[in-house]
Amino acid sequence: MPIRTGRRDLIAAGLHATLLTAAAVTAPFPARAQRRGSITSAIYPGSWDEAFREHVAPALQHAHGIELEMQPLFAVDQIAKAAAARGIPPFDCFVLDPGPRATGVERDLYERFDASRLTNRANLPAQLVDEWGVGCAAQVVGIAYNPKKVPKPGGYADLFKEPWVSRLGITGFQTTFGTVSLIEIAKIFGGSETNIEPALSELKKVLPKIAAVGAPAAMPGLFQQGQCDVMYTNTQTVTTLRDRGVDIAFAAPETGASAFFTTLHIAKGSENIENAYRYIDTVVSREVQSALAQKPYNFVPVNKQVALGPDLPMRNLDEMARFNTHDWSKINPLRGEWIQRFNREMAK
Amino acid sequence: MSIAVVGSRSAPAMAVRGCPAAALSAWTPALPLALAYLAFFAAPLLMLLAVSLFTDDRLTTLGLKQWERFLSDPFHWKVVADTVLLGLKTVAATALLGFPLALVYRAAPPMWQRVLLFIVIMPLLTSVVVRTFAWIVILGRKGLVNQLVLGLGLASDPLRLLQTELGLVISLTQIEMPLLLLPLLAVMARVDPNLLDASASLGASPWRTLFRVILPLTAPGLAAGCVLVFASSTTAFISQSVIGGGRLVYLPAMVWQQAMVVADWPFAATVAIVLLFSVSAVITVIGYAGRIAGGRIHG
Repeated sequence: MPIRTGRRDLIAAGLHATLLTAAAVTAPFPARAQRRGSITSAIYPGSWDEAFREHVAPALQHAHGIELEMQPLFAVDQIAKAAAARGIPPFDCFVLDPGPRATGVERDLYERFDASRLTNRANLPAQLVDEWGVGCAAQVVGIAYNPKKVPKPGGYADLFKEPWVSRLGITGFQTTFGTVSLIEIAKIFGGSETNIEPALSELKKVLPKIAAVGAPAAMPGLFQQGQCDVMYTNTQTVTTLRDRGVDIAFAAPETGASAFFTTLHIAKGSENIENAYRYIDTVVSREVQSALAQKPYNFVPVNKQVALGPDLPMRNLDEMARFNTHDWSKINPLRGEWIQRFNREMAK
Repeated sequence: MSIAVVGSRSAPAMAVRGCPAAALSAWTPALPLALAYLAFFAAPLLMLLAVSLFTDDRLTTLGLKQWERFLSDPFHWKVVADTVLLGLKTVAATALLGFPLALVYRAAPPMWQRVLLFIVIMPLLTSVVVRTFAWIVILGRKGLVNQLVLGLGLASDPLRLLQTELGLVISLTQIEMPLLLLPLLAVMARVDPNLLDASASLGASPWRTLFRVILPLTAPGLAAGCVLVFASSTTAFISQSVIGGGRLVYLPAMVWQQAMVVADWPFAATVAIVLLFSVSAVITVIGYAGRIAGGRIHG
């Protein structure tokens, strides 16, 4: 039977489709955590999203009957969205690295955090908790090298000498691990947390010899393909690559490994404070931290009851107190200029 | 001799010339799409322009500081030039390799045409991210190319192909090739074989037939393909970052750095608009060149 479609039908169908699309686009907003027994958390896209979906969501449902809804967002997006929402947060919890975390404190985007409401408080190292939130994963940054190709480097200064320099892969200030590594390099050559010029000038001297200047996301692939055999990175990347059969080892620099924490915060104005604390408590619980520390996620756990992996340069979390840490309230205002400087100095 | 160029005026365009009411009704089915474009393309574009007119990242003070900052710095002009040059080199490489393939396609029997078309479309069935990372495996120190070069004794050390503009153009040529070939093949298939026979019988050599008959007839398709390749390669953020590396700075990477890392949205918006206009300008020139070349058939 032939189907006859009139003009009015076509227009009606078109408008209907438009309205459906509009409804689909706007749907996430009213759905956000309005139901009793749910929590909406921002989460990094990729492995964090997968790991939390696999381990945190079931644990939260099991322990408290709370449904976890996640909004995959990069840290800068979380800050931008929350700032634009002006008091009506689009999610209840943030997950942030130190740079965006400092921006959030500066812009008053978090509720004051009361760690005594966590049942797991006693199992967390003191330095992980403050008035704004709590650390949920540690990152330890140092030097990764291929033990079959180059000897173990003693520290960042070695990266500027043979045989390491001609096998060195570097990245700029786009990531937290790249920024803290370049700051530590600057310190060796007379710079400081706010003066990275010595690092850039030393890098420029050896630039023709350097094996790769890569985008951060490309570095594991470049290492895997043998494009470079030494790079600064975090222990999580080293463990993940080793799990894939790559010849890679971690070396803590003689000037000390750098450490920072990924932190959880409750969004200011959240109407879900109780559930937010339960969610955070679940994330830092022994069971969840233990699961997140396994393959393929390889998180560095923050719960003292969870054993640390063999790749890590410390046997317990308290030892992290001697690692290098950085003041991101000083770094943030300078970072944009540093990124531009890196572009200029490294550009062909 | 005058040869009609393929193409006809669309029904709405003809209706516009006839009666305004008829024209309106002819355009009505396109209304939902037009509204969607207004809401999700034109409006965000205006917002982008508006954001670029703020002097601070909190978007509180209006001013032209971001534009001064961009335009007064020679480094930024170099990045614009590098981005446009990358697009032009990719267009040249895809056109040089793609046009002969399109000629083969035109002369092939129908079954082989279907096989060729499948081969051309096949890369589109794979994600551009996968294709980009595959090029790391091909161009790397231990990659296929270097294994071949070292195996044949053509070089003593592995060639440096990754993180070079050459490597980037090679990979973009493969990645963007379907965008050139699809419009080109569509036009090439419609070239009337009688015209080529007529050209030969009038004494034209194969090369003269190629340049005076085939090329002008297929110029609109070639230009459309070049436009797509140029637009796609200049904005290919993933390929530029992964294959090109940190030493090759292009506009998309600058937009990403400023928007996602530094959170300086006004400057990111400024760079994005510069990217939009520089790409649009070159696309206009390519389109104009295509029309000129296509028009030569009438001469």
